[in-house]
Amino acid sequence: MQESGSPVLLEHLFRRECGRIVAWLAGLLGSAHLQLAEDAAQEAMLRAAQTWPFQGIPQKPEAWLFRTAHNYAISSVRRTTVFSSKADALVAALESGAQPILDLDAEQSLRDDELRMVFMCCHPKLVPDAQVALSLKLVGGFSKEEIARIFFSEPSTIAQRLVRAKRLIREQKVALTMPSKGQLEERVNSVLKVIYLMFSGGYAAHAGEDLIRVDVCLEALRLGRLVASSSMGAPRVDALVALMALQAARLPARMDAAGDLVLLEEQDRKAWDDDLIALGFSYFDRSIAGEEISEWHVQAAIAATYASAASSTEIDWVSILGHYDQLMEMTDSPVVALNRAVVVMKVHGAEASLAALTPLAGNNALQKYHLLPATQGHVLAALGRLDEARAAFLAALECDCTLPEKRFLQRQLATVSMLHPSS
Amino acid sequence: MPQYVLLLHSDGEAWKKLSPEEMQKKVEKYLAWRNKPFVVGGAGLVRDTGRVIRAKGDDVSVTEGPFSESAEVMGGFYTIEAAGYDEAVKLSLDIPHIGLGTIEIRQVMVYNT
Repeated sequence: MQESGSPVLLEHLFRRECGRIVAWLAGLLGSAHLQLAEDAAQEAMLRAAQTWPFQGIPQKPEAWLFRTAHNYAISSVRRTTVFSSKADALVAALESGAQPILDLDAEQSLRDDELRMVFMCCHPKLVPDAQVALSLKLVGGFSKEEIARIFFSEPSTIAQRLVRAKRLIREQKVALTMPSKGQLEERVNSVLKVIYLMFSGGYAAHAGEDLIRVDVCLEALRLGRLVASSSMGAPRVDALVALMALQAARLPARMDAAGDLVLLEEQDRKAWDDDLIALGFSYFDRSIAGEEISEWHVQAAIAATYASAASSTEIDWVSILGHYDQLMEMTDSPVVALNRAVVVMKVHGAEASLAALTPLAGNNALQKYHLLPATQGHVLAALGRLDEARAAFLAALECDCTLPEKRFLQRQLATVSMLHPSS
Repeated sequence: MPQYVLLLHSDGEAWKKLSPEEMQKKVEKYLAWRNKPFVVGGAGLVRDTGRVIRAKGDDVSVTEGPFSESAEVMGGFYTIEAAGYDEAVKLSLDIPHIGLGTIEIRQVMVYNT
């Protein structure tokens, strides 16, 4: 009954347009009315979902969604008494300058709206958890249930986090504006941190194939590129995009068919995403064009060194160790020190690696981090100290980790126990 | 072949729980089903209160429908061809509507002249 050649929906169209509509309407209404912007976007999606199954997809689905949300916002302002005194002003704001958007002739202005929204969501007045949740909800178009799934949280917890963040934005009058020149660097850095937190949240290995996790990684990558292509662009933004693209390229190879973790060195390089590798290298080249060397640069350089090895036996560990040494001078992150210790083993052997791990043993930030005892276990096993290795893997299994990580540790433990059955 | 009308009632609350991504997936599945050869017609209904006409004593009363208050609103209908109720039910089970409301299936009456 539907003629062939009728429009089909672009992948993730609803999710993407939801974010763009919220950014656009909030831009017109101001950050005090985020909820109205969200409700209008949600209503547009609902109406589409309930009418398109019968009427088919309209010729311009994006325009349909924008128009429906816009109409809903106007009628909502008119009929909701909360707005009474401000209603006329809000309707006027909604009507001013809406036409070019409704005609879908304003890509650039939509990108600016989106960018302002990103900066608002990543405002330093918000705590990191709230920044990430708000960015995913308002910019990414993810639902609170989806965000809860990504962070293994309850939808009610996420809902609370979002409500609090929006209240803070209202009360503290966090505006939807680009940061001023003086604050630019700090604000951009804050955005980059949030984007990478978002990326890492999606990247963490978890049981079951939940495609939403890949979507989150790609959304973080998209936001990075959005910032990189704007007037806020800077070499360190390019470096972060390079880092995320090179890491995301490995997503298809990270788990085997049984859902078990595959170490970087054992991954099937043919399964890596070539387009993302190419994207990563092009951003990496751009990032090193200037003078600036940020932490993102060094992280990206490490990812690039892994990606440029023709095979896992040809990884340039000496260069990677050099990058880690450089990184250690820029940050006091114990996770960086831990990762460096792993590379030390490749370059200088297990004894040196153990020495590099020793100062980390009492580190508070790594108390519950399974990779510290797991790495110790790995190094101790290489030194033939099997009893201690076994104890380390058992300690690792006591930490919080995901099911694939748990199974990985159990395999390591089994190997060590087999070599030393008496223990 | 006999025709059947499928009346789709939507549960607004269930729809609201879907994320934009999930809604899009639903739309795509509905449309894939709608394009199957046994579907011969259908239309969506405007989501408002509609009007209800009924006798009130000797008068006729016209009211706005009760639909907005009820949990399930009829969102539209499809007409399909099927050999019998069994087949009509079987074909309807593929509509991604389960969990989002109810489907009422009625055979279209045909007069033999």
